[in-house]
Amino acid sequence: MKTRSYKPLLPLFLIYSLLILIAVAVPGMWQPVAFFMFYVALGQAFNIFMGLTGYVDFGYVAFLGLGAYGMAIAIKYFSSLGLISILLGILLAVVMSILLSLAVGAVALRLRGAYFAIATIGVNEGFRYLIEGVRLWGGSEGIVLSGLMRRTFGRETANLLSTFFSDILIIAIAILAAMTTIWILNRKMGYALLALREDEDAARVMGINVTKYKIMAFITSASFAGLIGAVAWTLKLTYVFPEDVFNIHYTVEAIVIVMLGGAGTLLGPVVGGLIYGVLKYYLSVVFPGIQLLILAPMLILTIIAFPEGIVGFIKKKGKKSRISCYLR
Amino acid sequence: MLSEVMKLPLLELQGVTKRFGGIVAVDNVSLEIEEGDAIGIVGPNGSGKTTLYNLISGVYFPDNGRIIFDGKDITFLPAHERTPLGLARTFQIPRPFGSASVRENVAIGAMFGRAKLDVESALDIADHYLSIVGIEKLAEKEAKLLTPLEKRFMELARALAMKPKLLLLDEVMAGMNPADVDRIIEVIRRVKDEERIAVVSMVEHLMHAITRFAERVVVMHQGKKLVEGKTLDVLNDPRVVEVYLGKRVV
Repeated sequence: MKTRSYKPLLPLFLIYSLLILIAVAVPGMWQPVAFFMFYVALGQAFNIFMGLTGYVDFGYVAFLGLGAYGMAIAIKYFSSLGLISILLGILLAVVMSILLSLAVGAVALRLRGAYFAIATIGVNEGFRYLIEGVRLWGGSEGIVLSGLMRRTFGRETANLLSTFFSDILIIAIAILAAMTTIWILNRKMGYALLALREDEDAARVMGINVTKYKIMAFITSASFAGLIGAVAWTLKLTYVFPEDVFNIHYTVEAIVIVMLGGAGTLLGPVVGGLIYGVLKYYLSVVFPGIQLLILAPMLILTIIAFPEGIVGFIKKKGKKSRISCYLR
Repeated sequence: MLSEVMKLPLLELQGVTKRFGGIVAVDNVSLEIEEGDAIGIVGPNGSGKTTLYNLISGVYFPDNGRIIFDGKDITFLPAHERTPLGLARTFQIPRPFGSASVRENVAIGAMFGRAKLDVESALDIADHYLSIVGIEKLAEKEAKLLTPLEKRFMELARALAMKPKLLLLDEVMAGMNPADVDRIIEVIRRVKDEERIAVVSMVEHLMHAITRFAERVVVMHQGKKLVEGKTLDVLNDPRVVEVYLGKRVV
């Protein structure tokens, strides 16, 4: 790919439009599509860090959790402002996750590879125990907002917020994260990240400030995570419990989605997120309780068969063909 | 003229020492390189050549001594801040950005080196540097699929794309057939003359190549600078012969 190209956004928007169409046109599909979109958005956000830098953050869900708390705090204390408190919550979610990413990044991003991954495992657990231990933000009882939201926003609006508006916002976040990804890929930052992902020492000697670019990707990825937490958890479910949001399970899911679709690719998280979301949703209907048992071997097979992910694999096969300019 | 006389060297090493535990890898080495110089650094395995390169490019910091580049003290400057000043190097074992195309590899050099081009112009100019080293046909190929030799040509193109004032080549000719060695020497000579790049080439064995390219040779031995001088004088120096072939026993 020689010139800067935004063509790969085309298949991306096609997939998104198709999903929205299914959600609106097919009765009963709105909630499943919203469920899939959560995983697509999660993959898109995580891909900006893990996919582009090659670093694995095992504490990633802490950003989602903190975002969820940001939204909950804003609604709890500023609900008198009406719907402005939601905007405030979005802002607070982003600010809080950026602050955490700066703190974690400043320490942990000095570590390489596996050491970074190990160092970040503690972040998530630490936050959960901090909230429960010092009874911060309601401690282990969490923050429950459903009553408050019904009283202050009215029953109709509160319902609309959690069953419709939050889903729309998740789709918007997924699109925004995808556009940010291609914007980064087309700029110097994309090439700097590519270089440091391949060989960090060589990248440094070539004049790339690797720490700067790693932190930039980390902050961007973390702020999207904060947004997802705020919208898909607090706004949609109207409650936050520390053991629910600071749950490493979501980090693992994010890793699976990015690996499945293709780390560092633009379309990978959409493909990975959809496959994962659809399988998880329908397998839990068909074989309730054992869906994870099926997903694990499937993941192993994917990683053996397509180590570069599904999109990475197609991209490689279709290199010479005309579709190549639409893949990234 | 006074300015000629006062001219500062491009790179100056002042008594540079680097230790790894008890081993003194580079021992009190001083060296001056002028703009447009062609210098060969030779020395057997373990003589401290690569460590010297790592000190100049900022992979390590020295324990003693100072490094001055283009009038600026860079002794403790991080590696990525040295490159924009006009330093570029290749690696003994090539280090391509494997999943990127050859063109992208070279473009990354143009983006972050002294040239500091934007993405568009960097990708455009990459082809120019690929044709200089003669691998323009490989532009689209994934860098990890290249042969070791092609990788070395690509690294040279990548380093040239950085528009350096000083180019450090690490065993760039090792393992090449005579035709490729000729091509590389011709390329190095050309960029040296056209762009006034000072070239330092490190060589372990290819002595005949060094005689055709270097104007001055520095011989390293056990971390120290053993001899420095005009190429042919140095290579015929009995101390140098001794380092390579051992003492006469009979």
